[in-house]
Amino acid sequence: MGQEREEYIVEMRHITKRFPGIVANDDVTIQARQGEIYALLGENGAGKSTLMSMLYGMYEPDHGEIYIRGQKVNFRSASDAADANIGMVHQHFKLVENFTVAENITLGIEPMKKGLGIFPYVDLSEASRKIAEMSKSYGLEVDPKAVISDLGVSIRQRVEIMKMLYRQAEILIFDEPTAILTPQEVEYLLKSLEELRKGGKTVILITHKIEEIKKVADRCAILRRGKLIDVLDVRTTSTQEMANLMVGRTVALQTDKSEAKFGDPVLVVKDLSVRNEDKVQVVKDVSFTIRAGEVFAVAGVSGNGQVELADAIAGLVKTEKGSVTLLGKDITNDAIRDRVEEGITYIPEDRQKFGVFLDFNLRSNLALRRYYKEPFSHKGILNFDESQQYAERLIGEYDIRSGQGAKTSLRSMSGGNQQKAIVAREIEQHSPLIIFVQPTRGLDMGAIENIHKQILQERDRGAAILLISLELDEVMGLADTIGVIYNGQLLKIADAGTLSSQEIGRYMMGVTDNE
Amino acid sequence: MNKESSRRGGPRAALARFLTNERWTQITVPIFCIILTLIVSAVVLLVLGKKPGTAFYSFLAGNGFLQKANYGSGSGMISDFFSFLNIMAPMLLAALAFIFGYRCGLFNIGISGQMLLSGYVATVFIGYSELPGAVARPLVLIVGIIVGGLAGAFIGFLKYRFNIHEVVSTIMVNYIISYVTAFRINLKYIDMISRSSKTISSAARLTFTKVQIAGCNCNIPLGIIIAILAAILVHFVFEKTVFGFELRAVGSNRNAALYTGVNVGKQMISAMMISGMLAGLAGVTYYLGYTNTIIPRELVSMGYDSIATALLGNNSPIGAIFSSVLITIFQNGASYMSSAVGVAKEIASVITGILLLFSACGGYFRRLAANYLRKLADEEEEAKKAAAAMAAEKGGEDK
Repeated sequence: MGQEREEYIVEMRHITKRFPGIVANDDVTIQARQGEIYALLGENGAGKSTLMSMLYGMYEPDHGEIYIRGQKVNFRSASDAADANIGMVHQHFKLVENFTVAENITLGIEPMKKGLGIFPYVDLSEASRKIAEMSKSYGLEVDPKAVISDLGVSIRQRVEIMKMLYRQAEILIFDEPTAILTPQEVEYLLKSLEELRKGGKTVILITHKIEEIKKVADRCAILRRGKLIDVLDVRTTSTQEMANLMVGRTVALQTDKSEAKFGDPVLVVKDLSVRNEDKVQVVKDVSFTIRAGEVFAVAGVSGNGQVELADAIAGLVKTEKGSVTLLGKDITNDAIRDRVEEGITYIPEDRQKFGVFLDFNLRSNLALRRYYKEPFSHKGILNFDESQQYAERLIGEYDIRSGQGAKTSLRSMSGGNQQKAIVAREIEQHSPLIIFVQPTRGLDMGAIENIHKQILQERDRGAAILLISLELDEVMGLADTIGVIYNGQLLKIADAGTLSSQEIGRYMMGVTDNE
Repeated sequence: MNKESSRRGGPRAALARFLTNERWTQITVPIFCIILTLIVSAVVLLVLGKKPGTAFYSFLAGNGFLQKANYGSGSGMISDFFSFLNIMAPMLLAALAFIFGYRCGLFNIGISGQMLLSGYVATVFIGYSELPGAVARPLVLIVGIIVGGLAGAFIGFLKYRFNIHEVVSTIMVNYIISYVTAFRINLKYIDMISRSSKTISSAARLTFTKVQIAGCNCNIPLGIIIAILAAILVHFVFEKTVFGFELRAVGSNRNAALYTGVNVGKQMISAMMISGMLAGLAGVTYYLGYTNTIIPRELVSMGYDSIATALLGNNSPIGAIFSSVLITIFQNGASYMSSAVGVAKEIASVITGILLLFSACGGYFRRLAANYLRKLADEEEEAKKAAAAMAAEKGGEDK
């Protein structure tokens, strides 16, 4: 048994990690050999980063064991992991902006010398030489004397890699390293990963981009919803197969969908562009129309601008250009509350960050769309009897489970019931437009089915529905029209019946018709 | 199993449940902190060789809650009690000022400065005027509210418009107010003997001095009525109004408030403005009530003590009434306690310090208790799981 283990440099066995409300990793076992590029493929929230955080000592697993070179380890912090020659490049770099490259690389293990035999000082001249040498041998060009704030993202990433190498890391974890790079920089990075493999390093690559895996990885573990789906030999597996496994086909949707009866256009989005906080354009010239009685579903891999699109329509972020028209009225620059009044309700992706007040009770949370209006308040004074009755009705009708009825604090409720409360609150507005973003994330089968039924009910009532989902099944099962978003652009808009899941999958990877 | 359940019912678990009880945690945690403080300060007093009982008695007697051994002419329990109310009024108002900002997620540590500015403006414009009391006193209150409100709104505006953190701007503004008012006072209003500003006319003073009640000279503060009314009003605004609901929403989760459609920027400026108004009231009840003069270049420590008072009162306006009573008892009773027990007056500051230290740990105690209860529950579950796993492993190992 010991023999078998030594074959792998990294082995994580039966790892389970729970966070309140979700199982991030459920009995996951992965094994990486020395000198291979081992990819972890999965959508956002599949549990890749959590798994690697445990290998890097940032979390401890609830169950399961980690072996490094056949030795069982018990990391309590990242420095424990670093002692075991494990290094990680995070999505967000951890560099000191106004330090030089060499200072950043040696930070914490500065080479000390003593002036006149007494006065200690940091001597970087030798470290700089060493860094220059290493950067040559791995093809990672960096200038040890450059200051970080003057450097672009791809060079900063090289600095992060050099930092690991300088610390003699043998096992290098990369968390979505290409997310921020241009195609040329991606090429360069992938080449250096190959260089690292040649140098005998073990590379673990977290990504949701299949082409990259196809290019450099030897083996690939696929995670979905916290579970290990399969471990594949990359050379003998097709891109399509990997895509299918990643997105998942196990949950077959059985929704009884009636014939769609489209009415007049409710939402018209024209040439909409949005920049995020980092001034990166995340939504680019998006145009589409949703009619009454239509479910318009946006399919796409997470992080391609779909959340920003929804936020822009709901008014949570400013639009850069383009227009949003609701029922013939231009609402592009309207305040959020005006949009709600004019007929937009929004079930947001991150329900605890945006959708509810965890410190408030269920009654207050259910009344969020109405508290300021008659009869929920009168001349600025809240009427608790009204909101109490309203809450009790919704709790009954939508089967919201809570310990102490309307007085329960949201924090003590399960994620599923929090979501039920949000959906109940928003649907009760009977708005002409309802935006659902990932409405079933983290819910169990029963709750998912319920929400799907409610979405279709609202559509049959005549509401226009914008559904944004990472679950292709959900999109296929509910949509009347499907738009596929990639890199902030709607690459394809088509009637749901005319697209196969394979085609959608291709568009989701950014493959367009003319290729 | 029996052992488990007996442990669950043990005194530690009972205490933990007492502290985490959803309904009463607002009250039980501060009470727990106060009891801890009394125990620790009793130990301190014992170490100094003094009787803790006598010391605690003297604190209460010094504030007119209990009978002193003897009184000077023209003073008695009732005059002590009024002087206690006189200093408690600005403390409560300052605590309310902090609470108002804090519940909206803003940390107003500029209360001292706002107090000083409104006290200064009211002193100069009303205190030195010849207006009769019926006009002067309401004007003092109005000036206090307006000046404090403007000072607060300025901080809120800086935060909203330029994203300047309120802690930074309030500290800076404190210095500006302190030096500018000192400069003006030294230039124009200084009393050469006391080295502080000239005293205000008694018609403008919010405390009625030397009122004869039952043979005692009492200083009756108007401020205490204002402070208690303000506490009730703040409570009402937070709990019963749309405005207060939105303020709490911004304080509880800014993103969700935005999503709900609350005008977050406007609410932050409003919260800071009202916080400043309350600080302004605290300022006029302090400088034109408790005292009748301003010492230049001195920011009252009450502005900072009020943060602790608010904290001890769990940031609830009604809780603040009780916590300001308690803190004032220790601070105001210090000198009598010192002479009665024969221990340095500073011991009162030590006790206040201990109280603040423990009340700052209130959240920690609650979490500790919650974790303890969770651990008990987990242990029970683990034990069950382990038993199940052991049974399963026995089956699996043979393979």
